[in-house]
Amino acid sequence: MEDSARDVGAFGREALAYADTLHNLAHYLTGNEPDAQDLVQETYARALRSLHQFTPGTNLKAWLCRILRNTFLSEYRRRRGSPVVGGLDTVAPVHDVADRELDALRKVVAEELEAALMTLAEDARTVILLDLEGLTEVEVAEVMGCAVGTVKSRLSRARAALRRRLGDDAH
Amino acid sequence: MREHLASCAACARVETAERALTEVLEQRLPQHPAALGLKLRLAAQWPAAAPPRRSWRRLMAPALVAAAVVLATTPLLYQRFVVAPAQRDALVTEAVNDHVRVLLSERPMEAESGDIHQVKPWFAGRLDFAPAVAFGGDGEFPLRGGAVGYFLDRRAAVFLYSRRQHAISLFVVRAEGLPWPANRLETSSRGFRVIVWRAGELGYLLVSDVDAGELRTLAAKVMGESA
Repeated sequence: MEDSARDVGAFGREALAYADTLHNLAHYLTGNEPDAQDLVQETYARALRSLHQFTPGTNLKAWLCRILRNTFLSEYRRRRGSPVVGGLDTVAPVHDVADRELDALRKVVAEELEAALMTLAEDARTVILLDLEGLTEVEVAEVMGCAVGTVKSRLSRARAALRRRLGDDAH
Repeated sequence: MREHLASCAACARVETAERALTEVLEQRLPQHPAALGLKLRLAAQWPAAAPPRRSWRRLMAPALVAAAVVLATTPLLYQRFVVAPAQRDALVTEAVNDHVRVLLSERPMEAESGDIHQVKPWFAGRLDFAPAVAFGGDGEFPLRGGAVGYFLDRRAAVFLYSRRQHAISLFVVRAEGLPWPANRLETSSRGFRVIVWRAGELGYLLVSDVDAGELRTLAAKVMGESA
């Protein structure tokens, strides 16, 4: 019993170390601070209830990200009856880059970058953020519930869409 | 791959753009860490870890029981020696994070001016409080400007001073609800020196990588002229 309590406590300490990462993802999913906080809190509550489903030795951060995204998709979108923030369709990777796109990338400031990211569809935003977090393609695939090959194509299309959006803004 | 990139201008440009995108995402995409209040709520909802089982615990049991009784029956002591230091650490961490964001920002100052009488009026309508800072810089610590930032769950007035080539951030926020130290706190975190104090309804956090003595000198100037 004591070992079990110690395990839960140690697990909790490790899980809480990812609060900043989860909140950052939640912010970019919900688009606002109150909903982001609610989402993170619900994520930890669900994680606590589902501890027995976590496989020791696998990536805890990826597991928490998956719970967070599933919670967002199932709870928020359904309960609020509102579309997911953002939604610009992703585009096929282009095979050439205009000068203005490269210039825009070099000059982009934080606010413009955030605004451009928020215009992307939810799965495009998520795959970019998870990639930035250093998750492997296998882990991203587990978070997003898709095949590894799908992750590669989604990431490529999402980044192409973001580049194009930044290039358009510079127009 | 390298050979192909060397001979294909179009693919080389895509490769350059991909690298540039990765760089700006890593360096410029705003990060939104969890607020201190949220972290405290999360910690409270998760069961605490049981202490590890060790033989010395049996020997120390009476002392541990006594300490537990003191902590359990004296919430103020628990608040002072356990909770408050952890909360103050979070305050310092946030200040350093915000200072780093200022350093990384392409446009750290929204109101670029060395004149405090131009910078302070700029905050009007952008904050729900008036930042009481009268020190407008001098030869030692010239004022570079001001900006509005976020500190934990609230807006902050950011004043940027400099000392030689070093940037110094001064964050001024509403003090209510945050664990300010009773006296001026001087500490360091991740190589940055931080001075924290409260004056009335406002809290002040000064962050930089300058020498401790130099930061103390600036703090005295800000404190002396902010009353």
